[in-house]
This record gives sequence, structure tokens and C-alpha cells, in this order.
Amino acid sequence: MDRDEIIRVLRAFEASGLEYVLIGAAAMGFHGLVRATEDLDLFVRATSENIERLRAALREAYEDDPHIDEISSADLLGEYPAVRYYPPTGDLYFDVLTRLGDAARFETVDAEIKDIEGTRVRVATPAALYRLKKGTVRAIDHQDAAALRERFNLKDED
Amino acid sequence: MPVQRFRSIEDMNHAPVSPSRLPDFDRFLRHCARYWAIAPKVYPRGVFKFRTIEEAQKARAHR
Repeated sequence: MDRDEIIRVLRAFEASGLEYVLIGAAAMGFHGLVRATEDLDLFVRATSENIERLRAALREAYEDDPHIDEISSADLLGEYPAVRYYPPTGDLYFDVLTRLGDAARFETVDAEIKDIEGTRVRVATPAALYRLKKGTVRAIDHQDAAALRERFNLKDED
Repeated sequence: MPVQRFRSIEDMNHAPVSPSRLPDFDRFLRHCARYWAIAPKVYPRGVFKFRTIEEAQKARAHR
């Protein structure tokens, strides 16, 4: 995961006006809980205008990669709320979500703004990350939830 | 303190770790870079879509 690439993408997100919230290990990294990951996970607001902003931002960051056109509102607003995009750089990928079953969507994830080199990044709060992770079945999510609970003194009701 | 000595592994595990001077997100990126250097992967290209997050996670696990 190349630092310049990540900053370029986050800058493109901001410039396009994309409504998103970073979740997953990258969000945990912003909160000081560091573990390795291969992807950037984000919720985006589920509107066609916002999906167009997502495509515009990715085109800006990845020099008009033609695969970006395969990211469609019809999918993300319909039957396929999870889309994975592998950019041409080859050492990371993006998991873009519009909803997580009935459990979560962009509007239900509390976020705060972080700054990296003058770029504003919308990151899920520790409590929001904890809520997303504590109820899932993956062992890594349980470990993340435990780390969040301990570091931020979160309670189960959080 | 570049070198610390311990009488046991338990003492070592309980010793506080010096805080990094790097910002949190930079520590995260460096950690990911180390992971990649140890275990690089070859990804497919393009866009893949999933009906559920579980389906997406399964695809990742079976890659």
C-alpha cells in the first residue's frame, strides 16, 4: 500500500465531493490501532450522483482505468451492495459498500474528520467501528473489536 | 533507550513499548508495506461485485 497512492485517492475523493466513510483496518489505523491489510473499505452514500462521484475520483486517481466504468449505480443501489475494485497499481484494492445487510449503511455510521497532508478524510469513529465489528463472525473482526474496546474504553452498549 | 534487558519473557511482554513518533496513519501504511514485502500477492484486475459482505469475504479467502 503506497503512501502517495493512498493520499492521491483520498485527495480525489475529497475533490470529487464523494460522500464516504472509511471503515475497516485503514480507519483503525487513523485511530492508532495498527494492523496490516490489503484493502481500503468504505461505505458510500447510495445515490447515483454519489456513485458517479466515486467513479470520477477513481478515474482521477487511476488515469482513466477503463475497468472503473464497471462500477455501476444499478449494482450498488440494487442487488450488489458490495463492489471490489482492483486498480492497475496492483498492491491494494477497494471494497466499496452501500449497505451491510440491514445492519449498516453510510447514514448509520458515525464519522469524524481526520487530516492527512491537508486532505480531509471521513473516518468511522472508534465506537462505530466497534459496532460494525463486534457482531460479525470473522475472527479478525473479533480481534479488532477487542482492541477497539480496550483502547477506547468502549462498552457493549457502544 | 535502544537496548533493554529482561530477566524473563514475561517481563519483556509487560514492558511498555516506546511510542512511535510517526502519525498513526503513517505507522499503519508502513506496517502494510512491511506485510507486502514479506508476503506479496498478485491480484486480478478490474471490478467484482457481491450480493453480501460475506460473499465478498469468501471470495477474498479463496483467492
